Amino acid sequence: MTRRPSSSRSRGAKKAAAKKAAAKKVSAKKAGVKKTSGKKVAGKKTAVKKAAAKKAAVKKVVAKKSVAKKKVAQASSPVRSRRGPRSAAERVSGLLVMLPWLMKRKKVRLADMARQFRISEADLVADLQMAAVCGVPPYTPDALIDVFIHEGWVIAEVPVVFSRPLKLSSAELFAIVATVRAAHRMPGAPQRSALLSATRKIERLLPAGEDVPVAIDAGEAPHVDELRIAIAARHELRITYFSPSRAERTQRTIRPLRLFSVSGRWYVAAFDEKSGEERTFRTDRIEALAATGKVFDPVRSSRDDDGAWFGADVPQVTLRVKPAAAWIAESYPTVSRRTLRDGSLEVVLPVTGEHWLRRLLLRAGRNVEVIAPESWRGLSADTAARVRARYRAG
Amino acid sequence: MATKIDAAERMLNLLALLVDRSQPVTLKQIRAELAGQYSDKDEAARAQFERDKAELRNMGIPIDMVTLGGAQAGESAYLVQRTNYELADLDLSDEEMSALQLAVATVHLAAQEGEQALWKLGAERVDDSLLGRVTVPFQDPNLARVMAAIVSRAPLTYRYKGEERTVDPYGMLARRGYWYLIGWDHLRKAQRVFRVDRIEGDVLAGKRNSFAMPRGMDLLRAVPTERQMLAAGDYEHSHALVRVDGSLVKQVVREFGEGAIERHESDGSAVFNVPCSNLSAFRLWLFAMVDKAEVLEPLEVRDIVIGWLDDLAAEAS
Repeated sequence: MTRRPSSSRSRGAKKAAAKKAAAKKVSAKKAGVKKTSGKKVAGKKTAVKKAAAKKAAVKKVVAKKSVAKKKVAQASSPVRSRRGPRSAAERVSGLLVMLPWLMKRKKVRLADMARQFRISEADLVADLQMAAVCGVPPYTPDALIDVFIHEGWVIAEVPVVFSRPLKLSSAELFAIVATVRAAHRMPGAPQRSALLSATRKIERLLPAGEDVPVAIDAGEAPHVDELRIAIAARHELRITYFSPSRAERTQRTIRPLRLFSVSGRWYVAAFDEKSGEERTFRTDRIEALAATGKVFDPVRSSRDDDGAWFGADVPQVTLRVKPAAAWIAESYPTVSRRTLRDGSLEVVLPVTGEHWLRRLLLRAGRNVEVIAPESWRGLSADTAARVRARYRAG
Repeated sequence: MATKIDAAERMLNLLALLVDRSQPVTLKQIRAELAGQYSDKDEAARAQFERDKAELRNMGIPIDMVTLGGAQAGESAYLVQRTNYELADLDLSDEEMSALQLAVATVHLAAQEGEQALWKLGAERVDDSLLGRVTVPFQDPNLARVMAAIVSRAPLTYRYKGEERTVDPYGMLARRGYWYLIGWDHLRKAQRVFRVDRIEGDVLAGKRNSFAMPRGMDLLRAVPTERQMLAAGDYEHSHALVRVDGSLVKQVVREFGEGAIERHESDGSAVFNVPCSNLSAFRLWLFAMVDKAEVLEPLEVRDIVIGWLDDLAAEAS
């Protein structure tokens, strides 16, 4: 016997599929494919159209498989998504999360479901179609996973298998508990009691029913409450802001847009009237804050939270950093970094201002050396001499 | 070579079979049930099955193996017990579900674990959070291993600062962009804190249920803050008087509180009494103010600072 596995299946057990139920499944599926997936699945679509009933779904899988096989030698295959093919394990573990979620809801829009799980509609359709031909022996329609796509809806009616989700992994358990606790500690958090009772229920999953020993310290959050209210109400604010990297204090009028915490520090992204652009301010450097009384129009934010912090025009410095000052590479965004043979790091950092660089060099001392540009090579010594002058005067 | 498509489909069918059956099944039975999906050749089928089994276990699926007796003596059989596989119904109310959604929308772990848990609990990912957004790193592959070891009470072995450590992991804290592991260090015979990203290489977990968890640990206090770090050293002088220029007084008060102010000067500057037992932490704190601060006393600390500056100023010449 040299039959290929899938085709043997289509001829064997699955052939027994009762036509009525399967016809409903596949015609619906066809609609789904047509509607949602573009060129990538065109080949599959033809296969689906040609064949009838349950067989069609199986054939389609076969067709897909043979396409994949043929194209193995070539660089790219129409079946593959741009990110490259997803592994079998990736697809299966994804389905094990999606199927119970779907079965609980019974009917979800395909587009919503794809968005929810951060997966392309084409990939989602492919995965669900695969699931629809899987189940338990003897693979009669009532023993297959009952999922189909109809006019842009994903429908799961009768749970056969995989109706309950897989247990949480320890990392998932820690992640969700840490997340809930951090949200609970946030100033102004609504639903505090629901957050607490949800954690308690989740903690029942631990073998001993103890605490999940994890916490997130989102950092002290000065002004965060006031800023949150101002963002929601679109209140323009007048702030006094201190910038240690420039050693200057400024008065600014801002329209606060978003609040976020990175590495335990809170920032507010705001339209800054002074510079005429969106800027990010650390909330612990806001020394004073008051509403101007003006309400601003909704603004669409021009960038994401932790996206580009620096423009292309910001100068750069190349540093050689000894392991003792590795905190430099850890605490500042680097343009590039590489490890040298002696264990030290060569990093390229954007320089927001000369004062900022002086400060960094002074703190790191002998553990850091400026490689380029030439003009900053003496900056460390010069800064030390300036500070030293202060001690002489005193 | 079987294609990816085959492998995924076969894996899903294998799992469905194992979950569906209440009795363990042998590979022979599996091959018969999943007609045509495994190779006809025994050796190739065994290899495919082992690969599928390993992948499924990797996803956290508990596949048990039993050795049969009687007529099938010596044969291995496999099963997945539903109670080990399925997430218990936590009976979360709608309000609790939405609270979870809010939490996941607020605290953004730089990995999918939080969302994954949310989906398994039957909730939905939402994008907006009124609370703002907290980003916490979560990519370090050692994190998942450490968390699994905490849950199973397994000691961990790893290299840290060039030393081989064995640690009973007690808990974890994310602070200032880093994950800290709090645990009992067998080498130092004391509770210690480790930064997970500074662990050299992979962590290895030992035997499960090897230690008891301490009760009522306060994780937020177990890891010293930056301020506490200044005091966590063995330098003979525990405090120093530092004059801070008026422009920075507010910032330093925010760090150490009004209570740290020794006196106000007429020019707006203030003299603070700050811990300095950890000299390298003290240096980082002091020099962050560049020339806007000056150590006054003790003279020995002042001289050390002057020494640092002279050393650095001499670098160029």
